[in-house]
Amino acid sequence: MDVLYGIPLIGLLFQLIAYLVQVLPLIAPIIVVLATPIALGAMCGFMNERSGVVNIGIEGMMLSAAFTGWVAAATMTALFPGQTPIAGFFGATPALVVGLLVAIATGMLVSVAHAWLSISVRADQIISGTIINIVAVGATGYLNILISGTAPPTAGSFRAWVPPKELMDLPYVGWLFDAFLNQGPIVLTMLVMAVVLQVLLFRSRWGLRTRAVGEHPKAAETVGVDVIRLRYRNVILGGIFAGLAGAWFTLEYGNSFQGGMTNGRGFIALAALIFGRWTPIGGLGAALLFTSSEAIGTAIRFQPPSGELAQLGDLLSGVPSQVFSALPYLVTIIVLAGVVGRSLPPAAVGKPYQRESVS
Amino acid sequence: MRRTRVTALAAVVAATSIVAAGAVSAQSPGEGWKVGLVTDVGTLDDRNFNQYSWEGAEQGAQAIGGTATAIVTQGSADYNKNIQTFIDQGTQVIVTVGFALGADTVAAAKANPDVFFIGVDQGVCIDENGDNDGTFTCAGDPAVLLPNYQGVIFAEAQPGYLAGIVAANVSKSQHIAVIGGAAFIPAVKNYAEGYAAGARSVNPDIKVEIQYVSDDLNKAFNDPAGGKAFAEQLLSLHPDIDVLFQAAGKTGNGVLQAACEAKAANPDVWGIGVDVDQFLSTPENAACILTSAEKKLSNAVSAAVQAAADGTSVGGNSLYSAANEGIGLSPYHDHEAAVSADVQAAVDAAFQAMAAGTLDPLGATAP
Repeated sequence: MDVLYGIPLIGLLFQLIAYLVQVLPLIAPIIVVLATPIALGAMCGFMNERSGVVNIGIEGMMLSAAFTGWVAAATMTALFPGQTPIAGFFGATPALVVGLLVAIATGMLVSVAHAWLSISVRADQIISGTIINIVAVGATGYLNILISGTAPPTAGSFRAWVPPKELMDLPYVGWLFDAFLNQGPIVLTMLVMAVVLQVLLFRSRWGLRTRAVGEHPKAAETVGVDVIRLRYRNVILGGIFAGLAGAWFTLEYGNSFQGGMTNGRGFIALAALIFGRWTPIGGLGAALLFTSSEAIGTAIRFQPPSGELAQLGDLLSGVPSQVFSALPYLVTIIVLAGVVGRSLPPAAVGKPYQRESVS
Repeated sequence: MRRTRVTALAAVVAATSIVAAGAVSAQSPGEGWKVGLVTDVGTLDDRNFNQYSWEGAEQGAQAIGGTATAIVTQGSADYNKNIQTFIDQGTQVIVTVGFALGADTVAAAKANPDVFFIGVDQGVCIDENGDNDGTFTCAGDPAVLLPNYQGVIFAEAQPGYLAGIVAANVSKSQHIAVIGGAAFIPAVKNYAEGYAAGARSVNPDIKVEIQYVSDDLNKAFNDPAGGKAFAEQLLSLHPDIDVLFQAAGKTGNGVLQAACEAKAANPDVWGIGVDVDQFLSTPENAACILTSAEKKLSNAVSAAVQAAADGTSVGGNSLYSAANEGIGLSPYHDHEAAVSADVQAAVDAAFQAMAAGTLDPLGATAP
C-alpha cells in the first residue's frame, strides 16, 4: 500500500479511497437516515411537479405534519399509559401508529389546500407554497408554546428493524445491509417507495399520464385525460410523503417537537429533486450525496486521516469544514447550469391549466 | 446546596426591589412600561436560552408593573428591523437575546439614548465614539457613552468547569466530549473550554473531544436532527466516549437524545445539559441527563429590567458568576446515585473557590 500512497497526486486519491473504506461503514447508517426527510420531500415535490404543479411548501407541510403527529402520539400516550411496544414491529405502540397516521393525514390536508389554490383557484403556485411555509412556522410555533406550558410529553419513537446478524456480518457488503436495512419504518418506506415510484413513472399508465399532464396538458386533455383530476390526485398523494417526512422528525429519528425543527430540509429536498432530474431514484441519490458530503466532512474533523494516510490528513486539515457543507449546493448549481448534462423541469410546471371549453 | 443558592439569589433580587421601593415612594417608576424582547434566530419555545430570557423579561415587567412582548427573529438580517419595531412602538426597555445581536443593539442604544437596552450574553465593547468595537479593544467607557445599555453576561466557563468535574468523575473510559453550537460565540466556547479544564483538573490525562457543529447559526442551534446525527457520528468514530456535554441549544437537544439512545447499549453513557435544568425542560431525554451547566437566565434578565426601571442601571456589563450565584450545576434528580459524595464535595469546593476568586476556570492549567 505504501507504494501506492507514495505516488504524487494519484497517491492522494488512493489515500482518500482508503480513508473512505475505513470510515464509510461507520457513518453510512447516519448518511441514510439523514437523507430520508430530504428524499421524501423530493418525492412529494416529484408528485407535484411531474403533474405540473410547483410546490415550494414542502418545508411547511413537513413541519405541520411533524407537529400534529407528535401531538397526536403524545396525547395518546398520556391518555392510555402503559402501552407496550409491539414486538418485532419497529417497537411500534398504538400511540406511535396513530401519530404516524395523523402526520400523513396532515400532509395530505395541507396538500389539498395547495391543490385547491394552485389548480382550482389558479393562484400563483409559488405564493401558495410560501404561504404554507409561513403559516406552518407560525402556527406550530404558537401552538407549541401553548402546549409546552405543561410538561412537554413524548411518545417515544419507532425503533429500527434489525436485519439478521449474518447479513450484516457479511464481508465487504455487510455494512451496506446495516446502513440501509437496520433502520426504522419511515426510512425503509422511503427506500421502497423510491423504487416503486420510479417504476410507476416510466412503466405504468398512471406514469405516462402524469408525465403528459406535466409536459403538455392540452394534448393530454385531447386524448381524454382529466388534467384537473389527475393533478388534484397527485398533489394530494404527494402530501403523504411530506407527512412521512414530518413524522420522521418527531416519531422516528427525534422524540419530541421543537419549533422550526425541519430547518430548511424541505428546501434542500427541492434541490435534490432538481439534481435528480425530477425522478424519485435521482432524488434519493441526490439526497444521499448531500448528506454524505456533510457526513464525510464531519468525519474528517472527528477522525482525521492519520498514520499511512497522514499526507491526506495534512491536506484535508487545511480545508474548512464549510467547504464540505457547501459542496452539494455547488454541484447543484453546476448541474443547473447544464455542465453535467441538462436537468429540465416538466414543461408545464407552474402553469395552471384552464380548459378551453370553459366559457 | 441548591436551595441555599436559590434563596441567596432571591435575596439579591429582593434587595433590588427594596431599593426600587425606597427610591420612589408612591408607585414603581416603571409602572406601565413596555418591555420588548427580541430573540435570536430560533423560537420562544426553545425550552432553553430564548425561552428563559423571555420568562425573565416577563417577570421583570411584572415586578415593575409593566407589560412584556416578544418578537421572534427569523433570520439574522432582521435583528435591526425587530429592534426598530419596538423603538417605534415607544417601548421603554428592549431586551435583545444573544451575542449575535450585540452590534445592532449598540447601534440602536446610541441612536436612542432614552430607551434602555439589555443585551443578554453581550459583553459591552465600544470604541471612543460609542460605536460597537469589532476589534475588541473596548476603548470607550460604556458608563459614560452608553449608560442606557446594560450587557448581561455570564461566566459560562464556571458552570462548564463544574460539569467537567462531574463528567471526569463518572466517565469509565476517561474519554469525554463536548458538542458546542458555533465556535465564534464566546459563551459556547467558554462552556466548552471550562468543561475541558474542569475535567483535566480531575484527571490531567483525560481525553476531551471539543467539537463545534457549524458556523451556520441555524445548524448550530436550531437543528435537533442534525445535532443527533453529529453526536451519533462522534460516537460511531469514538465508541468509547461516555459523557456528552452539549452547548448547542436545540441542536444540542438532539445530542442529548443521541446520548440517551447510546445509553440503551451502554449504561455508562451520560448527557449533560446546558443553560437551564434540562432534566426538567426536556423530559423526553431526562433518563440520561445527569446534570446541567446552568446560568440563571430568567433571574438575571428580570433583575436587569428592574434595575433599568428604578434607575440603578449604569450601563456596562453586569457579570453573573459563582460570586453572585448567577451560575451553577442543576440538581441530579433521579441520577443522584451516580454522583458520589466525594464528587459533590469537589464540585462544591470548586464553586466556592470560583466565588472567592481563587480559581479561574480558564486560567493556569490545573496541576
